[in-house]
Amino acid sequence: MTDTVNLFIGLAMGLNLMALASSRIPSIIRIEAAQGMVLGVLPLLLEGEPSALVIAVAAAVVGVKGFLIPSLLRRAMRAAHIDREAAPRLGFVPSLLLGAAATVGALALGLALPLMPEHARLLLVPGSFATIICGLILLMSRTKAITQVCGFLMLENGIYLFGLLLLGSTPLLVEAGILLDLTVAVFVIGIIVDRIQRSFDSLDTRMLTELRE
Amino acid sequence: MSPGPLLLVAFLGLTAGTAGCRRMRFWLVATLTGCASGLAAGAWALIAGPVWDWEPGVALGGQSVHLRLDAISAFFLVLLALLGGAGSLYASEYWADRAHPASAPPGRVWWNALLGFMALVLMSANGLHFLMAWELFAVCAYFLITRERHKREVRAAGWLYLAASHTGTLCLFAFFTSLASRTGSWELGPLRDRPDLAPLFWLALFGFGVKAGLFPLHVWLPSAHANAPSHVSAILSGVAIKMGIYGLVRFSGWLPVPEAGGWVVAGLGVASAVLGVAFALGQHDLKRLLAYHSVENIGIILIGLGFALIAAARGDAAWGCLALAGGLLHVWNHGLFKGLLFLGAGSVLHATGTREMSQLGGLWRAMPRTALLFGLGAAAISGLPPLNGFVSEWLVYLGLFEAASSRGPAAWAAVPAAILLGMTGALALACFVKVCGVVFLGLPRSAAAQRAHECGPSMRAAMMLLAAACVAIGLAPVLFWPLVIRTVAAWRPEWNAAAPSVPLTTLGIVHVALALMAALAVAVLGWLVRRNGLARAVTWDCGYAAPSARMQYTAGSFAGIITGWFAWILRPRTHAQPVVGLFPKRASLDQHTPETVLEDVVEPAGSMVMRLSTAVRRLQHGRMSAYILYLLAGVAALALLAVWGGAR
Repeated sequence: MTDTVNLFIGLAMGLNLMALASSRIPSIIRIEAAQGMVLGVLPLLLEGEPSALVIAVAAAVVGVKGFLIPSLLRRAMRAAHIDREAAPRLGFVPSLLLGAAATVGALALGLALPLMPEHARLLLVPGSFATIICGLILLMSRTKAITQVCGFLMLENGIYLFGLLLLGSTPLLVEAGILLDLTVAVFVIGIIVDRIQRSFDSLDTRMLTELRE
Repeated sequence: MSPGPLLLVAFLGLTAGTAGCRRMRFWLVATLTGCASGLAAGAWALIAGPVWDWEPGVALGGQSVHLRLDAISAFFLVLLALLGGAGSLYASEYWADRAHPASAPPGRVWWNALLGFMALVLMSANGLHFLMAWELFAVCAYFLITRERHKREVRAAGWLYLAASHTGTLCLFAFFTSLASRTGSWELGPLRDRPDLAPLFWLALFGFGVKAGLFPLHVWLPSAHANAPSHVSAILSGVAIKMGIYGLVRFSGWLPVPEAGGWVVAGLGVASAVLGVAFALGQHDLKRLLAYHSVENIGIILIGLGFALIAAARGDAAWGCLALAGGLLHVWNHGLFKGLLFLGAGSVLHATGTREMSQLGGLWRAMPRTALLFGLGAAAISGLPPLNGFVSEWLVYLGLFEAASSRGPAAWAAVPAAILLGMTGALALACFVKVCGVVFLGLPRSAAAQRAHECGPSMRAAMMLLAAACVAIGLAPVLFWPLVIRTVAAWRPEWNAAAPSVPLTTLGIVHVALALMAALAVAVLGWLVRRNGLARAVTWDCGYAAPSARMQYTAGSFAGIITGWFAWILRPRTHAQPVVGLFPKRASLDQHTPETVLEDVVEPAGSMVMRLSTAVRRLQHGRMSAYILYLLAGVAALALLAVWGGAR
C-alpha cells in the first residue's frame, strides 16, 4: 500500500515538473486538474478502510480541484483571450531545472528531518516540499495572472499534501473550509482577471506594482 | 520631624502652580512655595536627618512606589530647588504673558512638571519608576526648549536634543532591565558585593553621559542650551545635565565599578574640560558659548569623580574623598554660577534681541546691574578667588596633588590631569575676559545694543539670589563642607571616618580678606573719582583720528590666537575675501566654528545609515514574484539552519 501511495505522490511530483515545462496555459490548467485528482484519491489509499467521511472529502477534493476550478479558469482564460505564457520571467528550461533541483533538495531534506516512523517511508513530506517550492517557482517565473493562479493552486496542493500527515485528526470542517476558500478565491480571481484584461488590455502582473507601500 | 510633610507641600505647590498656570502671580507664589519647601526638605535631609524612606504601599506599573531621600539625593535636590525658584522668579518677567501670550502658560506647566519629575528621579528607589521619571523629565525639557518652535533652528535643536536624549535613555533601559534581571528585583539599593554587576557600569556611563554632556556625547547640548528660553537654559545647564552626574554618582556608589571605570571617567573628564573650553572660545553666540562651558565644567566634575573611583579601587580614602568632595561641590557651584550666567545672558537677549556677540558691546552703560552680576558669575566660573568656583576647583586640585604624592599609576595620571585642569582654568578665564569685554565694554556694535535697557526687578532678584549663593560658598566654604562630606560618606560609607582635614577656615578668612580689600579698593577709587572727577579722552588710535565701533576687537579676533592652537579639533570655517592692492575693493571675513563631533562624526554616520536603509528600501518595489523569492530564500536559509543545527 505504501508503494501505491508513493507512486501517486511521485506522479504528483512529475506533474509539477510538467507544469513548469509547459508554455500553453490550457495544458497547465489540465496538469493542475490532474494533480488535484491524484492528490484527491490519496486519502482513500492512506486509510486502510476509509470511513464515509474520508470518502466524502476525497470526492469533494476530486470534484472541486479536478473539474470545478479548471472550468472556472478556462472560462477566465477565454474571457481574456489568452492561451500562451508568451514572455516568462524565467525560461522554461531553467525553471524546469530549478524545479528538478528543488525536488532533489526536498528529498534530501525529507531524509534529514526527524519524522514519525509511520511517515518515514512515505514520500508525503518530500512531495509536499517539492510541490510547494515548484508552486513558488511557478509564481515567481510566470507573468500572466492565470498562470499565477495555477502556481497558487500548486502551492495549495503542496500544503494539502502536508496536511495529509494529520489526516486522522483534521476535522471535516477544516477540509471543507479550505476547499471552499480555494474555490471562492479562484472564482474571484477569474473575475479580477477579466477586469484587469478589460482595463489594461494585458494580464501582465509585472505592471501591477502601484500598491506597494 | 521628617522631610515628608515638606515634600508634600512642595508637591502640592508645584501641582497648584500647574493648575493655575493661567494666572501668573498665583503660579509664581505656588511654585516658589513648592521650591522653598523642597529646598527646606533637601537641606533638612542633608544637615540633620537620617535617610527618609517612604513606601505608601501603592503600586505603579506593577511596582510598589518607593521614595528615598538620602544625602546624595538631598544634595542634588537642594540645587534643583534653589535654581527652580530662581528660574521661576526670572521667568515671571522674562517669559511674561504680554510678550508670549500663547507660549507662556503652557511653558509654566512644563516648567513645574520638569521640576517635579527631576525631583522624582532624585528620590526614586525603584528602577522602573526611575526610568519613568527620567523619560518624563526629558520630554518636559523638550517642550521647554521648543517654546519658540516657529523658528527653524529651535525645532532642529529640540529634535537633536530629543534624539540624543533617547539614545541615552535606551542605554538606561538596558542598564535597569539587566540590573533587574540579574538581581531579580527593580528595587534599587547598595549591591557592592556583586562583582558580576560591574560591566553594567559602561551602560550607565553612556546613558548618563549623554545627559551630562561629557565630551564626545555632548552634541545635543550647545544648540539646545542656546535656543531654549534663558531660564530653561539655566535649569538645563544647572540641574538637568547634573541628573547625569547624579546617576553616575548614585550607581557608582551602589554598584561595583570595573577596574578601568575610574580611569575612563577621569580621562573623559579631562577631555571634556579642555575641549569644552576650547570650543567655547571659538563661539560667537553668547548662549552657545556658555553651553560649551557646561561641557567644560562637567569635565571638572568628572575629573573629581573619576579620581575618587580610582581611589576607591585602590583603597586610598584620603585623596579620593577630596577629589569627590571637589567634584560634588562643583556640581553646586556650576549650577549656581552657570544659572547666573544664563540668566544674565537672558537679560542681554531680552534687552537687545540678539545673542550674537558681534552685534553687542558697551552694554554696561545701559544695564550696569546685569553687567555686574554677569561679571561676578564670570569671575566665579573662571575659578577666581574669593568666589565659589575657586573653592571646588581647589578641592579637586588638593585631591590631585595628594594623589600625585601617593605611589602607583594614579600618581602618574594625577600630574597631567592637574596641569590640564590648570590650563582649562586659564582658558576659561581668557574666554570670559572675551565675553565680558566684547559684550559689556567698548562701544555698541549695533543699533539694538544702543537701545538696550536694564532688566526688571524680578529678573534682577533671581540673579541676585544666585550671585549671593556664589558669594556665600566662596566666603564661608567651611559652612558647606560638612554637607559635602556627608554626601561623600553616603557614597562610600567606609570613608566616613577618613574625612581629611582641609584648611577651609583659612581659605575662608583669606577670601574674606580678599573681598574686603577689593571692596576697599573700589571704595577708594570711587572716592577718588568723586573728588577729582573723570576726564574722558580718545582711545589710543594709532594716529587714526576717527575710530568707529566697527574697529573694536570682535569675539573672533580676541580669541583668534587660542582658537588657532585648537584648530585641529575646532576646524573653524573661514570665508575670506582679503584686502589686495593699493586701492582695495570690498573685503570680508566670515568665520564660524562648527560643532565638530556633530558635523564630522554623527552626521556622516547618520547619512551612511540613511544611505544603507535607502538601499534596503529598494527591495520593496511591488513586484510580487520577487517577494516570493525573498520568502523562498528565507525559508531555505531557515531549512539550512535547521539541518546544520540538527547535524551539530
